[in-house]
Amino acid sequence: MSEFFKALKRSSLLMGWLLVCHVAFTPTLMAAQTSTGSPVDIPNDPFESVMWKQMVERYFPGGQVVFDSRVIVSAPKSAENQFNVPVTVDATALDNVVEIVAVADLNPIPHILTVRPIEALSFVGFRVKLQQGTPIHVGARTSDGVWHIGGAYVDASGGGCTAPAMAHGISDWMKELGTTRASTRRESPLSARMTIRMRHPMDTGLAAGIPAFFMNEITVRNASGDALAELDLYEPVSENPTITIKPKVGEGVEQLQVSARDNEGNEFGFPLTVPGVDAQ
Amino acid sequence: MHKSPKMKQRSSTFQTTLNKKLSRRQFLQSAGACCAYCAMAPANAKLLDYQLSATEIASGTWAVHGRTEYFNLDNGGNIVNVAFIEVPDGIVVVDTGPSKRYGEALLDLIQRTIPNKPILRVYNTHHHPDHCFGNQVFDSSLIAAPQGVIDNLASEGDAFAENLYRLVGDWMRGTAIVLPGTALDADHEVVGGRRFSLFYLSGHTNSDFVVRDDETGVLFTGDLAFMFRTPTTPHADIATWQTAISTLDSTDRELIFPGHGPQDKKGDSLTQTADYLAWLDENLRTSVEQGLTMNEAMALPIPERFNALSVLRTEYERSVVHLYPQLEDSVMQIIEITR
Repeated sequence: MSEFFKALKRSSLLMGWLLVCHVAFTPTLMAAQTSTGSPVDIPNDPFESVMWKQMVERYFPGGQVVFDSRVIVSAPKSAENQFNVPVTVDATALDNVVEIVAVADLNPIPHILTVRPIEALSFVGFRVKLQQGTPIHVGARTSDGVWHIGGAYVDASGGGCTAPAMAHGISDWMKELGTTRASTRRESPLSARMTIRMRHPMDTGLAAGIPAFFMNEITVRNASGDALAELDLYEPVSENPTITIKPKVGEGVEQLQVSARDNEGNEFGFPLTVPGVDAQ
Repeated sequence: MHKSPKMKQRSSTFQTTLNKKLSRRQFLQSAGACCAYCAMAPANAKLLDYQLSATEIASGTWAVHGRTEYFNLDNGGNIVNVAFIEVPDGIVVVDTGPSKRYGEALLDLIQRTIPNKPILRVYNTHHHPDHCFGNQVFDSSLIAAPQGVIDNLASEGDAFAENLYRLVGDWMRGTAIVLPGTALDADHEVVGGRRFSLFYLSGHTNSDFVVRDDETGVLFTGDLAFMFRTPTTPHADIATWQTAISTLDSTDRELIFPGHGPQDKKGDSLTQTADYLAWLDENLRTSVEQGLTMNEAMALPIPERFNALSVLRTEYERSVVHLYPQLEDSVMQIIEITR
């Protein structure tokens, strides 16, 4: 990890320098870029993704974009299983994160998920299907509109997005749809850690004859009904989505209510209990 | 130094052009660079040579040790132990290595070590690619394994091959899956005048095949035993594997020849494998209970006593991916949902 961040810092310096040159010597080009609808300078991508500019324009729009070592993206260098590549994003060193957007640049459907940590730490764990080796970029947008970007490169053998889900090998898989497992713990006096794992095929629509069918919304509320975190999931999230987040809670026993919905309108709701500080 | 005719021609053309414009010293420097370039051709050719060698570990029993590494472009997948045995009327081979190229090198090594004897039997201990992708160079009717190994290789072989091309590249050229032509289910067979006991176990995969040469007492465990090398778990069921290790531990033998790492007189490979698997299972179970993400679990410390096992961190990280989902399904509590 540390080597990565050194590299990132080096490249940030380089990017800064390039930016200076860019502004100083190429005003014409700047003007041209602005007129073609690119309102901000796009920093060079340390992962050298060929899709980086498109990713920024499409998924990290509207504000300044900076690579920031405070957005820590953990992922294996090489995917052991291209259907189930674990990614953990920790942007808790940044204040005022409004939303976190994760994309796999070279996936046929790049957008993995968006998290709005309304009353939650800027942290999310998830798993993704990869179609080939790809950079994963994660943008954490702060309330000042700046996109803070972190990332990782994951090598992978092909086909994670275009193969049928494992569920389709089981004849009565629909019976298990939405079956949920969870682990909820208190992590600090003011935050909990919840991991949920829900049965769902998360069909991308890219496997022959199987239409897109995926969980697309998860909301975590407190007992008063206030949303603590909202997640928008997309097709690349792995089958049986397994998500870890850290809602902010009080010191007492806290009742959370989770509601989830898929793109065919199936709704699933369940309660989770965070033990009080005393119970630790 | 060997130069191909094409290389010679290219150098001389280069020389003629250069002579016109460069000083003598400049020319000599360039010529030196050119020679270095020419030297790369044989060096590259050498890189794709497995350079296999055989060590006699018991009477007439030859071990071909792989490196205790993970697949990479440098080792070409030669990370596995293969053996061949001279029996009265011929030769018996245990496992065939990771590629066609390896199979060819192995066959050559066997013929140099034991000239003028026929290969009578080739065993595949399990369906993992490092153990049976050299099958191609042998007569498939001589290749034997339990039906479970054959079925596993039939269903997963192509996907393994695809992944191996990614991991080791050109070493794999021309490699294709060859299924064993003989399915075994007897508890022993006599090959070329030598009796072999056959054991049908599981745990490392759902079909692990162990062979004992009843004359020398060498027990060929395949990947049920690892020695100074971290056990791998892509198809593992740890509880069943532990049972298999107990079975092997109580099996009469003179020497264990593990799937990876040096041969083992005392049974240390069984102890090491059992110890690591027990820690792995416990550690991941606790991680799942605590709701750690896979990435967080991958970053956990590994006890120092396992430092002697090679590829430790990489294999541990792979094991997290292999074992976490099934542990989540068994450990995490089911929550009643409303729809």
